[in-house]
Amino acid sequence: MENDPHQADHPQDTVPEDEQLVAYLDGELDDESARQIEQRLTSDSALRDQLSRLERAWDALDELEQVEADVDFAKTTIEMVAVAAEEEHQRDVEQQPAKRRRRWLIGFTGMAAACLAGFVAVWGFTPDPNEQLIEDLPVIQKLDQYQQIDDIEFLLLLHKHKLFPPEADDDEA
Amino acid sequence: MLEARDDNAAAFEELVVRYQNRVITFLEHHTGNHDLARDLAQDVFLRVFRARKRYVPGAKFSTWLFTITHNVAKNALRSRSRRPEINLEGRESGAMGIRPLEAMAQVSSGQIPARALDRAEICDVVRMAVQSLNERQRMAVLLSKFEGMSYAEIAETMDMSIQAVKSLLSRARANLHDVLAPYFDQENHANTPDEPASN
Repeated sequence: MENDPHQADHPQDTVPEDEQLVAYLDGELDDESARQIEQRLTSDSALRDQLSRLERAWDALDELEQVEADVDFAKTTIEMVAVAAEEEHQRDVEQQPAKRRRRWLIGFTGMAAACLAGFVAVWGFTPDPNEQLIEDLPVIQKLDQYQQIDDIEFLLLLHKHKLFPPEADDDEA
Repeated sequence: MLEARDDNAAAFEELVVRYQNRVITFLEHHTGNHDLARDLAQDVFLRVFRARKRYVPGAKFSTWLFTITHNVAKNALRSRSRRPEINLEGRESGAMGIRPLEAMAQVSSGQIPARALDRAEICDVVRMAVQSLNERQRMAVLLSKFEGMSYAEIAETMDMSIQAVKSLLSRARANLHDVLAPYFDQENHANTPDEPASN
């Protein structure tokens, strides 16, 4: 490589240049890069030699023979696979009770969670009738007095003008 | 493969028959050992069967197959390198003699001249040249040359970036050239007709 004339011409890019040449030979360069390589090849004999050397070494690999599987290969391979399939099936069968238990547990947990959620939803959204009674208690306690007056507007007017006497019960509360 | 994934035995058998030669060829050139290649090829198809449920429709089957092949080969070579056993496999001395890699190194360095080779010997030389590459370079070369994979496919199979594949193949091809060049030169000398003697 030290005496490579091409290296003397382009000392700054020997390694990337090899990569570009190999990629060019493999058809892996984009159009612009391929065009640049081709342009340089027309004028650079050392680059052409380099390309030719790389190509020749690559083509030598065609001398390697294609190996053919022997007649028993497929048969013995399928036999091995059949054994593996049987082992897989056996494992699945053995794991069935555990899987069933797991499925049952998941189902039970899911149902329990659904029941709990339903209970909370019903309990949360159903109004408590007692709450209304508690809220209305002050009115209920004085209902006999309020029933003496039929007109609610009149009651509001009395309240507005502070004409209701102070209640001893209120003070005690 | 989709049918094999769905436990169609006949489909799986067809896959084996269709790809067995390619896988064995690949593994033999990668490991340099025919018997090992055969065993590893069976291991590959067994793993394909076990992983069949994970095959993604639309993915190229050969890329997936050779990803598994790559892993099987890598693991085998790794465990082989850990075992300090000597390979006593009987092998007829070819062009390189009984220590072929050593002879190649000597030829490449010019210590001994290469001689003109016949076809069978050329095959031996090329096989040894491939074996002289490191594992990743060899893998990339075989995937590119024999499987016709693009750089993107090789990158996916070997779990590398495309740029890394580009560098790897560049170094591999340069190394192949360095090892084979003396034999090309000798071929050229052998093919050049003798010059007539001057009077």
